[in-house]
Amino acid sequence: MKSLRKIKTFLQGFILFNILWYIIASIISMKVLPKPTDVYLNMNHLYGKSLYIHVLVSLYRIFSGLGIALILGISIGLIMAYSNLGSKLLNPLVYFTYPIPKTALLPVVMLLFGLGNSSKIILIVFILVFQVIVAVKDAVLNISPETYHPLTSLGASKLQVFINITVPAILPALLTNLRLSIGTALSILFFSEGYGTQYGIGYYILDSWMRIDYMAMYAGIVVISLLGFALFILIDIIEETLCKWKATSTN
Amino acid sequence: MLEIDELSVSYLPDKKAVHALGPISLKVDSSDIYALIGPSGCGKSTLLHVLSGIIKDYQGQVTLNGKKINPKKHDIGFIPQNFGLLAWKTVYKNCLLSLRIKEKAITSSHIERIDYIMDKLNITSLRDRYPRELSGGQKQRAAIARSFIMSPDLLLMDEPFSALDALTREEAQELFVDMWNQYKTTTVFSTHSIEEAIYMGKKIVIMSHCPGTIVEIIDNPLFNTKNLREHNEFHKLSAHLRNVVKKGWKL
Repeated sequence: MKSLRKIKTFLQGFILFNILWYIIASIISMKVLPKPTDVYLNMNHLYGKSLYIHVLVSLYRIFSGLGIALILGISIGLIMAYSNLGSKLLNPLVYFTYPIPKTALLPVVMLLFGLGNSSKIILIVFILVFQVIVAVKDAVLNISPETYHPLTSLGASKLQVFINITVPAILPALLTNLRLSIGTALSILFFSEGYGTQYGIGYYILDSWMRIDYMAMYAGIVVISLLGFALFILIDIIEETLCKWKATSTN
Repeated sequence: MLEIDELSVSYLPDKKAVHALGPISLKVDSSDIYALIGPSGCGKSTLLHVLSGIIKDYQGQVTLNGKKINPKKHDIGFIPQNFGLLAWKTVYKNCLLSLRIKEKAITSSHIERIDYIMDKLNITSLRDRYPRELSGGQKQRAAIARSFIMSPDLLLMDEPFSALDALTREEAQELFVDMWNQYKTTTVFSTHSIEEAIYMGKKIVIMSHCPGTIVEIIDNPLFNTKNLREHNEFHKLSAHLRNVVKKGWKL
């Protein structure tokens, strides 16, 4: 099992990381870098202080952003791959906007959509959607024409071709992309939660920092890291179930 | 009965029409098996692509059992050179694909037929494997099974055995002829091996260089003969074929 092996690797990494952290913290011995043991022991404590609300709010923003980006990105990617006109119209737009650092648009998004959840979700969508579009478009265009032949000779309808060829053929690329997107989404989330909100794990970290509550700040960093890892494992599990044909090796 | 009347095909790369095939006229009786032999690039694949409905842009008439050939109306089994199995479906699901696309309800008699054919082609034990876990010969047998399972009106094979090593090829040819004798499906296949044409074709169609036309159609008395090479006639026929082929290919 791939995901089990990954969890093992994660645990090894986790232990090594903490040993290093512990040694460095012991050597430096400053308040700004507490020992990991202290941070973990303190975390129990924080759970009661509604840390979980921040986690839930952040999860809501990530999943909404990811969901909308996927729906939009897959649709636009498919249009670009299958329709000449669509590709002609959208390609220059995507090509032009792809390299713009969308985080710079944070003020614009906030001015247009307010300080609430929607501006944070929209920023995540902005950044992820272009990657999804490009991944889906390329995956569809990479399907070799021969792949369609058996179905064409069976007289398959467009829908049948879509279900039997397009969807399974683009899934691996889509999931790889999703894995990268989640890392990006978490970074953007952290950034955008620094503004105009009282909730979210990003806010929690920044707020603790300002209040010189380093224990809580580190706890927040640990939590956001675990969140990223949990999402990573989730994608591995999805990939293992949906792309069995790819994961298994000969014999 | 498959009737091909004055069929010709041109491609349009870079707006300069390239005449790839024809004009060709050919009548294939029901329960006949035709071998197309000719130099590479002579349009064998093009002809098979027209018959399988992959190429829709052609001049002339092609009718199957009195109706214009159409993969939505006819049941056409097409086995491409790379066998055309879908990488994301197990052997069993690949075998069911033809019935699924034709939206036939899978009855117990279907299941019986599927089990029988899979058993006969010796792929029952591979039913839950994915194509990437199969050898060339196994993929080939799965592809043959898929085509026979839907009892096609017309079976087309594009150099079906050329990707196999010599030993596997002989075995696969025997298995195929065995299957064919049982179901007597009207079949057209292309090959570049004179021996294969003599072993598997009731009629042998020799094609010329591009644009491919028919040089000669030979009634093959040696169809389905075991130990071909021991027959005197085999050497005569293959010498004759070689002769015609050489002449035809120079044209």
